[in-house]
Amino acid sequence: MYARRLAVCLGSVATLVVAGGAQAAWRDGGEVYDKVCRYCHEANVGPVLKGRALPTEYIQRVVRMGNRAMPAFRPSEIDDATLADVARRVSGSAAVAQE
Amino acid sequence: MVSKSKVLPKGISAAEFDKAVRELRAIVGDEHVLVDEEKLAPYRKIMMPVSEAQHELSASVMPDGVEQIQRVMKVANKYRVPVYPISTGKNLGYGSAAPVQRGQIVMDLRRMNRIIEVDAELCTALVEPGVTYQQLYDYLQEHKLPLWFSCPAPSAIAGPVGNMVDRGVGYTPYGEHFMFSCGMEVVLADGQVLRTGMGAMENSNTWQVFKWGYGPTLDGIFTQSNFGVVTKMGMWLMPAPPDFRPFCIQYPNETDITKIVEALRPLRIAMVIPNAVVIAHTLWEAPCTPVKRADYHTGPGAISDEAVKKIQADHNIGAWNVYAGLYGTKETNDANWKIIEAVAAGTGGKIITQEASKGSKALEYRFDLMKGKPNLGEFGLYNWRGGGGSIWFAPVSQAKGAETLKQMQMAKTILAKYGFDYVGEFIVGWRDMHHVIDLLYDRSKPEEMEKAYACYDELLHTFAKEGYGMYRANTAFAEKVAATYGPVKRDVEKRLKKALDPNNIIAPGRCGISL
Ligand SMILES: Cc1cc2nc3c(=O)[nH]c(=O)nc-3n(C[C@H](O)[C@H](O)[C@H](O)COP(=O)(O)OP(=O)(O)OC[C@H]3O[C@@H](n4cnc5c(N)ncnc54)[C@H](O)[C@@H]3O)c2cc1C
Repeated sequence: MYARRLAVCLGSVATLVVAGGAQAAWRDGGEVYDKVCRYCHEANVGPVLKGRALPTEYIQRVVRMGNRAMPAFRPSEIDDATLADVARRVSGSAAVAQE
Repeated sequence: MVSKSKVLPKGISAAEFDKAVRELRAIVGDEHVLVDEEKLAPYRKIMMPVSEAQHELSASVMPDGVEQIQRVMKVANKYRVPVYPISTGKNLGYGSAAPVQRGQIVMDLRRMNRIIEVDAELCTALVEPGVTYQQLYDYLQEHKLPLWFSCPAPSAIAGPVGNMVDRGVGYTPYGEHFMFSCGMEVVLADGQVLRTGMGAMENSNTWQVFKWGYGPTLDGIFTQSNFGVVTKMGMWLMPAPPDFRPFCIQYPNETDITKIVEALRPLRIAMVIPNAVVIAHTLWEAPCTPVKRADYHTGPGAISDEAVKKIQADHNIGAWNVYAGLYGTKETNDANWKIIEAVAAGTGGKIITQEASKGSKALEYRFDLMKGKPNLGEFGLYNWRGGGGSIWFAPVSQAKGAETLKQMQMAKTILAKYGFDYVGEFIVGWRDMHHVIDLLYDRSKPEEMEKAYACYDELLHTFAKEGYGMYRANTAFAEKVAATYGPVKRDVEKRLKKALDPNNIIAPGRCGISL
């Protein structure tokens, strides 16, 4: 039974070998925010950042230096241009709606 | 071009260093070698209780590809400059992205982030060091592949290669990550490229499905070591089960750990519970719930048992909180669920199901981790003491009740002596447990840093005296931890190092191995 169900569940992709191989890059700062920052800064872990008009230079600096328990992020993880975009978006964003 | 770096590798002159840097730039491109102090800042940030100067790097080189790494090795050998490879560089609380010794050049492999292959029939993947768990998760979603992986708590920013190489753990049935890796590609110090297992055969298509190959199995020597630079890793993926039922069982008393372990061990060994079970203490759950320490304890010293009891009552947290899951079909899970209910009832535990878990951030992130869904919920831990100090004390224990209670009490007593709280959990392998304690302290206060260092030191040596060794350790204590494992093992490691890396250029000092 278990085997059959599993076979059904994998059936549609069973012949697929996905050969990726391309170097991944961030689409834009919005993606970085969604896939990294948001996990803490919209989850009661780190302070909420949106809607506070934080200066962009400050945001970029904290990302590179880290801050207390916040890890620092290297240019190899988030390049300067994408980080500038993150900062611009966060700085200019409206407040996060409360749940 | 004069080097702006103030930090140099041991025994290397500024002029020689500059020459080496120039050659590295020629290999990877100017923008992929960093020497400016300001640009290197992200690599300097550590959570361990030692000064940043002790682990300050001289430069960072970011190759993209095996061929570039081979050439970097040549330069490192020529100038005798040590390079410290990192993958995603998020070894937080174990050394972060900083090298084990001052002056080493960090070889940052984060740019090598290709998911080379996913085989949906065999449920395997082949990835580069810079791939993050989040990236792999998105990839599987995008391609609608019903495959799960196991990840550590900082999954959104960490990655499978770095984690496996340090022998990290996660929370699905594939939680012992090295065990579920299959095949590595390694650049050796002399520039040769070794593929382990079946990968050594040029035309083999079984590299990601059969671990052992012919002759000695070498993969292990490239974990927690410095014998090579891992550039590719195969990993097994788990078919998403038709029915996944995560749950938590809460227990009211600290001493309940004995009966919890006795009750769970048979289920784990028999694989009724197939995943890496976690038994988390109140003070691990509280900060992630979130609960504020200041609401229950102010002033110096460790939090009292009474205050911990009050937290449990106020926030519906157990003294111990067991996290596990059933992975199967509805029919098999229904059958096994009866066993879980009976065990909980028989041991005085209260079951919390997914439906009943709503509203607790701690339960939410744990349930997600048990299906390999990335998040960063566990960073809530750092709001407990504040100040960004953390060092993991992580001894191995037998999965026996009396042993776990003994370890817990030993640790709690020593921590309290230095004014620190017991923030611990047991992660259940099959027969072992990783007893993981987050020694949280305020890194902005020098006196707390000193205490945290002394506390870890005492924990380490007291545990070693009882025959308890670390599963993994931070870079500041690499030498001391290695020493607890005795001289013969270290001598063999040294002989391997001499054979594979005679100029001592790959991460000397990592896990106490150096020439
Ligand atoms: C809140 C919190 C929770 C955590 N929970 C967990 C957990 O559940 N499980 C767990 O295992 N850890 C946990 N950790 C510790 C750590 O963050 C993770 O293990 C993380 O996966 C390690 O970082 P990384 O994957 O980026 O590896 P890296 O930092 O890239 O690598 C780790 C080390 O391995 C070596 N190395 C890396 N890549 C290579 C290579 N290609 N060749 C040779 N050597 C290499 C280097 O010495 C490096 O320092 C936690 C940390 C925090 C802060």
